[in-house]
Amino acid sequence: MIELAGISHRYNGAPALVDIQFSIAAGEKLVLLGANGAGKSTLLKILDGLIHPDTGSYRYKGEPIDPRRLKAPALNRRFRAEVALLFQNPDAMLFNPTVYDEIAFGPRQLGLTDIDARVRHWAGVMGLDNMLDRLPFSLSGGEKQKLALAALLANDPQLLLLDEPAAALDPRSTGWLVDFLADLPCTVLTTTHNLSLAPEFGSRVLVLGEDHRLIHDGPIEAFLADPERLVAANLVHSHRHRHGALEHRHYHLHDWS
Amino acid sequence: MHIPDGFLSPQTYLPAYALCAGLWWVGLRRLRRELDADTLPYLAVLTALSFVLMMLALPLPGGTTVHAAGIALLAVNFGVWMAFLAVSLVLAMQALLFGDGGVTALAVNALAMGLVGSAAARLAWRLLSPLHATAALFVAGWVSVVLPALLVALVLGIQPALAHDTAGRPLFFPFDLAITLPAVLLPHVLVGLGEGVLTWLGTTTLQRLRLRHAT
Amino acid sequence: MKAEYAWLSLYLATVLLATLVHDPLWLALGLVAVLLLSGRQAPALLRRSLRVILPFNLAVSLGYLLLAHLHAIPPWETLLRINLRVLAITLLTFLFIARVNLFRALAFSPTLTWLLGLAYSQAMSFARAHADFRLALVSRSIVRPRLRDRYRASAAAAAWFMDKGLASARETAQALRARGFFGD
Repeated sequence: MIELAGISHRYNGAPALVDIQFSIAAGEKLVLLGANGAGKSTLLKILDGLIHPDTGSYRYKGEPIDPRRLKAPALNRRFRAEVALLFQNPDAMLFNPTVYDEIAFGPRQLGLTDIDARVRHWAGVMGLDNMLDRLPFSLSGGEKQKLALAALLANDPQLLLLDEPAAALDPRSTGWLVDFLADLPCTVLTTTHNLSLAPEFGSRVLVLGEDHRLIHDGPIEAFLADPERLVAANLVHSHRHRHGALEHRHYHLHDWS
Repeated sequence: MHIPDGFLSPQTYLPAYALCAGLWWVGLRRLRRELDADTLPYLAVLTALSFVLMMLALPLPGGTTVHAAGIALLAVNFGVWMAFLAVSLVLAMQALLFGDGGVTALAVNALAMGLVGSAAARLAWRLLSPLHATAALFVAGWVSVVLPALLVALVLGIQPALAHDTAGRPLFFPFDLAITLPAVLLPHVLVGLGEGVLTWLGTTTLQRLRLRHAT
Repeated sequence: MKAEYAWLSLYLATVLLATLVHDPLWLALGLVAVLLLSGRQAPALLRRSLRVILPFNLAVSLGYLLLAHLHAIPPWETLLRINLRVLAITLLTFLFIARVNLFRALAFSPTLTWLLGLAYSQAMSFARAHADFRLALVSRSIVRPRLRDRYRASAAAAAWFMDKGLASARETAQALRARGFFGD
């Protein structure tokens, strides 16, 4: 479904991505793991055709994609209907006057006939059914995230790109999201900086190192078994532990979310 | 609307800097005395806010866009001195950190947009708001664009008379008032209408948000 | 910090000088000097400068060309003078920005440094969010959004910036109070 080759990108002279290469088959559930600033958001924006990488090629279903080629209305319409990106800051995505209109925005653009049913279905799935008349701006952080996700899913996307979707969610909602994504029929690429959450979002893990290169692509277990690479990717740390009189140090992680 | 570098003679921008420096000093002292400890953080954040509001494009039919200045919004909601200092800081940031705008023209721009623009907006709003709240905000936005534009047109238009060589050819901005007044003023009379609407909508939103933040 | 302050003063003095010299030849020599000082950055800085000044200078130059033609004045010396001066000052400003840390140059005033630093970091984070708001509308639009939707998107962004701005100002003030910044 997706082929990336030799993707490199710089922001104001500083590297964001270096020589990224991988492909995704339809239906796969992948995790993109990396420390903050490793380039995860940039990579998702390239996959969503929003940023034109300095070098390298990106093909979606065999079709080369970049912001210039997406100016062609036919390709743009197909690509935007099939590929959906959940921004890390869901506020950036919400601009309609009500929750209802927010979910209906995509289906209305597509000219679908079952708009009302779709809106009620996805609002129900996300637990937003009793706030359809509310202003999206007035929702809580977690509700905004669910609303943004509902708005994307209402278009029946084939590729779903999620940028740190668990960051604004409480533990119960995170557990729900993990189960929900596993059951979705579409291809899903989820980013996280949280090592312990990573295996929950997919069995194949892509890891972006602090050098902005792809340092791992495959099952998570192989990566977890290699402490040196974990430290190099800035995903675990070590500090002194005191247990009574005993003091020692070892690698570990702290979970925040 | 703001004047770039290289078009103003030193006879213009040096006195403008002298005047501005005095006003910046007075403004900072007033802010510190009149308001509480929140003043400086508010000034910094309002500077950033007006910086980003200037980036927001207002779409027009046909695909073009205009950019709002947000000066009346600041002046009506936070006072003239706060608006003047915030606009000055935005201009300084744009000139010295992004190379956008003018270093020599900074004081003239700050006086025109930051001081005259916000004072006119505040005055119009104070005079008209007892009569009609919405109209007052709209007029405040309109004058905050049109009056600075008039001042900019005057300053640019007197350059050929102020600075020319022995043959009478201009050294800096080359057009006189007969050209600058219509060329600068007429478009801004229209742009001001958009600014008027934005000042009204922006103030309504801001007042709702401030209520929410106050609780 | 002394060095940065000296560079700032030198930069401002040079800009002033560039408005006191009126001979196109001297202005051209000054431009060459700035280009030489830029070293390997010269082509990039020149491109940026030209891009910034092009719209306004082109309009003024064409207008003046027309005016000079109508009044039968030879326009070239004036055009060279105006454009060389603007280009030299703009290039010098970009060189200054590329080489000198303004925040260290302003270290003589802690309040000013603090104020500008906070405004700048807040403005940068707003600018990044602004880019996301813009891209999110592109990402969500399957067909060209209606004018009404683009208005709503701009309004939502503006409201979000105001909300974040108010919250951030309050938090900063609280943090400063907690640190005893306001001794009185």
